[in-house]
Amino acid sequence: MASVSEMYDVGWEEMRDKLRKWREDSCRNSEQIVDVGEELISEHASKLGDDIWIIYEQVMIAALDCSRDDLALTCLQELKKQFPDSHRVKRLAGMRLEALERYDEANKHYDAILQDDPTNTAARKRKIAILKAQGKSAEAIRELNEYLEQFVGDQEAWHELSELYINEHDYGKAAFCLEELMMTNPHNHLYCEQYAEVKYTQGGLENLELSRKYFAQALRLNNRNMRALFGLYMSASHIAASPKVSAKVKKDNMKYAAWAATQINRAYKLAGRGTKENKCSMKAVEEMLESMQITMS
Amino acid sequence: MPIQLTSQAYCKMLLHAAKYPHCAVNGLLVAEKTKEKKKDRHSDPVLCVDCVPLFHGTLALAPMLEVALTLIDTWCKENNYIIVGYYQANERTKDSRPNQVAEKVAARISENFSEAAIVMVDNSRLTLSCFEPIVLIYDHHENKWKSREVTSESFEDWSEAQKITSALLEGRSYENLIDFDNHLDDLRNDWTNPMINKSVLDLC
Repeated sequence: MASVSEMYDVGWEEMRDKLRKWREDSCRNSEQIVDVGEELISEHASKLGDDIWIIYEQVMIAALDCSRDDLALTCLQELKKQFPDSHRVKRLAGMRLEALERYDEANKHYDAILQDDPTNTAARKRKIAILKAQGKSAEAIRELNEYLEQFVGDQEAWHELSELYINEHDYGKAAFCLEELMMTNPHNHLYCEQYAEVKYTQGGLENLELSRKYFAQALRLNNRNMRALFGLYMSASHIAASPKVSAKVKKDNMKYAAWAATQINRAYKLAGRGTKENKCSMKAVEEMLESMQITMS
Repeated sequence: MPIQLTSQAYCKMLLHAAKYPHCAVNGLLVAEKTKEKKKDRHSDPVLCVDCVPLFHGTLALAPMLEVALTLIDTWCKENNYIIVGYYQANERTKDSRPNQVAEKVAARISENFSEAAIVMVDNSRLTLSCFEPIVLIYDHHENKWKSREVTSESFEDWSEAQKITSALLEGRSYENLIDFDNHLDDLRNDWTNPMINKSVLDLC
């Protein structure tokens, strides 16, 4: 099989830089990381300098994702040799046990870390991840709530909690978590848009109006967020169609919906330029918007 | 009328699950719209000729699901299809039962097609070789969703489906599979997956 460098005509520096980008963006494209990382480690280890340790960590986690225990073990052993007493490496050893579904042993591993260092957030989060993997959602939620009482600024944890609540259909609590995230990240259009989706799903006129406002806010922060645009259209359309609203509210929302529809059509036209395949998508969107207008008026 | 899967529908479902092994995924199953059947042809199976991959990750939020259902419904009308089923692969390997989301979407589909089915992917048996069918098909009886035995009869041509799915999984075709989420990220991504459809046709 051709090597990565042959297939994509890249040198080791590009491979190293790609791995760095994936680290920074927290991408979970584990198969690609394994392909690139394995080759980098086996053929260019000496050139990587101190970068090699973080690459070992990244490749090991990706290897666990791909059931490549052989590769994971190799990386782990190198890291253990270099950092014999490190809690960070112990956590990786625990993750390997998790991947092998040896949850009791993994828990013991994390408990040992926490005995030594009760503030070790990584070990606590892994224990919660084990609960999630075992399907114990209620316990995972409880533990995560306790964790957040102590570590109130951990955004990753707030986001995980919001997802756990959404999966349990507890939209009110999911909204609360997203509110925390929006407060600390007022410019993040994704949190705004997710909050709007949760409010929409909760349902009811008040929540729909709130959702429309937050979809609009997300668009203000990023005018290319299609979900926000569609969301604005859907929420405004539903409000306008509701029998409980005043004539003015109905008129305003029909205006918002019409504006959103124009923007959606424009976005599709821009995207469809030059491609024959997307013609059907565009037509479908136009018809969908037309049909919804008909049912509303 | 029980549903039957073509190779294209089956393999795209599995490719979707394989593309996002760490997420739950879902999608819709479509069949060709036929004229009104006569009473005595009741037991003819409904052939799902294609599937549309919808989302990965969080499946339980309403707005984008509504957009997808409406858009795909319009697309179906243009192509003389009808939405007849819903598929889902859960996040955890050992969990293959339909949940509230699955039941809600299926109920919505049932409004237009009374014999809507839920197809769940059995993650624990997903392998590259796919030597046995790894889906569970649920039908709605007496207000409950009951699973039906899946045999090669549940497929238009099981050995062809097996061969094609295995080939595409090994060739990592799932990297190019587009779901509705990908489409919302970049409108140029085509959720009808013409390239993959062509690969399937080439392997037939």
